[in-house]
Amino acid sequence: MENIIEIKNLDKSFKEVHAVNDLSFNVKRGELFAFLGVNGAGKSTTISIMCGTLKKDNGSVVIDGYSADTDMKKITEEIGVVFQNSVLDGVLTVKDNLYSRASLYGITGKEAKAKIDELSKLLDFENLMNRTLCKLSGGQRRRIDVARALLHDPKILILDEPTTGLDPQTRKILWQVVEDYRKSKGMTVFLTTHYMEEAADADYVVILDSGKISAEGTPLELKNKYTGDFVTVYNADEERIKSLNLPYEKIRDAFRIEVKDTEAARDLIVAHPELFTDFEITKGKMDDVFLAVTSKKLVGGN
Amino acid sequence: MKTFLAMTKRNIKVFFKDKGMFFASLITPLLLLILYATFLAKVYKDSFNSALPDFISVSEKLVNGTVAGELFSSILAVCCVTVAFCSNTLMAADKVSGARKDLFITPVKKSVIALSYYVGTLLTTLIVIAVAMGACFIYIAVNGWFLTFGDVMLLILDVFLLSLFGTAFSCIINSFLKTQGQISAVGTVISAGYGFICGAYMPISNFGSGLQKTLSLLPGTYGTSLIRNHALRGVFAEMTKENFPPEVIEGIKDSVDCNIKFFGRAVSISAMYAIICASIAVLIGVYVLINVLDKKAD
Ligand SMILES: Nc1ncnc2c1ncn2[C@@H]1O[C@H](COP(=O)(O)OP(=O)(O)OP(=O)(O)O)[C@@H](O)[C@H]1O
Ligand SMILES: [Mg+2]
Repeated sequence: MENIIEIKNLDKSFKEVHAVNDLSFNVKRGELFAFLGVNGAGKSTTISIMCGTLKKDNGSVVIDGYSADTDMKKITEEIGVVFQNSVLDGVLTVKDNLYSRASLYGITGKEAKAKIDELSKLLDFENLMNRTLCKLSGGQRRRIDVARALLHDPKILILDEPTTGLDPQTRKILWQVVEDYRKSKGMTVFLTTHYMEEAADADYVVILDSGKISAEGTPLELKNKYTGDFVTVYNADEERIKSLNLPYEKIRDAFRIEVKDTEAARDLIVAHPELFTDFEITKGKMDDVFLAVTSKKLVGGN
Repeated sequence: MKTFLAMTKRNIKVFFKDKGMFFASLITPLLLLILYATFLAKVYKDSFNSALPDFISVSEKLVNGTVAGELFSSILAVCCVTVAFCSNTLMAADKVSGARKDLFITPVKKSVIALSYYVGTLLTTLIVIAVAMGACFIYIAVNGWFLTFGDVMLLILDVFLLSLFGTAFSCIINSFLKTQGQISAVGTVISAGYGFICGAYMPISNFGSGLQKTLSLLPGTYGTSLIRNHALRGVFAEMTKENFPPEVIEGIKDSVDCNIKFFGRAVSISAMYAIICASIAVLIGVYVLINVLDKKAD
């Protein structure tokens, strides 16, 4: 698969903060790319540079073959962006907002109506069309933000914490629409989020720390690298578990033993067949990966 | 083009959704009218009477008509610029709300965005100015009407041009502002200061010759003079009809800035129009250029 986003040696400093520090990564066409990091890691800054609203100090950004230095206009036709904070006009109605934004892409008249009707059905805000945007709830507004970003069928959808503060239902609707677009139109999704279960579904994950990559890979690679496996044993005796000398945790009716990797888990079970009669092996979660990656850095920094 | 119209429509809608913004713009000319009618009118009247030689007797209506014409021109000359500044808040508001970022991530040309702000502000300014102008015409009608239909048309043209000028001026300044607070501050300074430098509060002829020369470099001066010429034309015609000596009329014309000199040379009406039109073109050009060159969204 070819790269649709190529970022090389990107650098950006604000007065005293080095927000993005020699950052390089690629995003492949059609994938769900998760861009993670603690608060202030530089995610939104990177996004602002990618979509041309912030000047970079150094480095290169190439999106779908166009350089951000020379062909920003081409790039803007291909990206749809949901910013971390809503950027629509609060005093206007949902309808006015969407029509005025559609016109910015040259989408007007019947074409605009068709697209906006389609999105309002998909994202379930047909009944909000005549409401004033600033009077909507956060989740209602977020759906409009996403519709705004999808108005021109972008090749790349950039989502900066799209689901923060949304109820599970709204999150589900949002993801369904995004996945539909991804599957049916081959859209690439560039996602930042603090919900690790969303990142777990990604094709590729980059974890950013102080403007630098501190870990990257597929969720599986990351889990294998940064977390052990867990063996959950049911109906066992705590004394016996303790005697294994491995870190474990007591959960309702079972014990969760942490082992280095799947191989270690197998060896452990083979060595104690009488203890492991009813068990389950699971990989670590993205939460564990994230904590392992980011807290390690914290210790290293001290 | 459709994009441009849609953006302009959006700008105007946002402006009128915020009722406070509209009334804030509207209140400037109305305040000025009340202020001028109560205080300045008397000053103008006294200075006019004292400027007249004793042997000439003037009807009350002619005096009041002259004063009203002066007030009319002063108020509108100031308003065209200050109202433009008051109503030109959207650019900064968009920077604060992030809407500007949203415009930047689209393929629309920066010049189109810039011009849509310009036209949006222009239209809102014109609406407010039209209301103010109506009030001012009523004021003249009450005090002494010497205007012809032609004068009225020319006045409307003058005010239109001066609004174009004021809006372009405010767009340039506001391109550099980022918050509502800065806009209000600049707006206040402009409201207070512009009246002086364009000869609205006090005729430029009252100033020292150095200052007069400096002010003659500013295009706004000619805008004021244009309005003044047309607002007072009927009055002077009436004076001629009542057999005022021509040198007295010229004296009055000089004293109220109907005859402006550019380093000693009289500036004709058509030259004034040329100056105003040229400065509008230059200002709009500069404004668009500033926006095209600006790479950042906030
Ligand atoms: N306009 C700015 N001026 C000065 N510093 C800034 C500016 N924007 C961002 N920063 C700083 O740059 C760093 C990175 O900020 P950024 O918004 O990219 O973080 P983030 O990864 O998006 O965090 P979050 O998860 O909280 O959204 C932070 O330390 C922030 O304070
Ligand atoms: Mg952010």
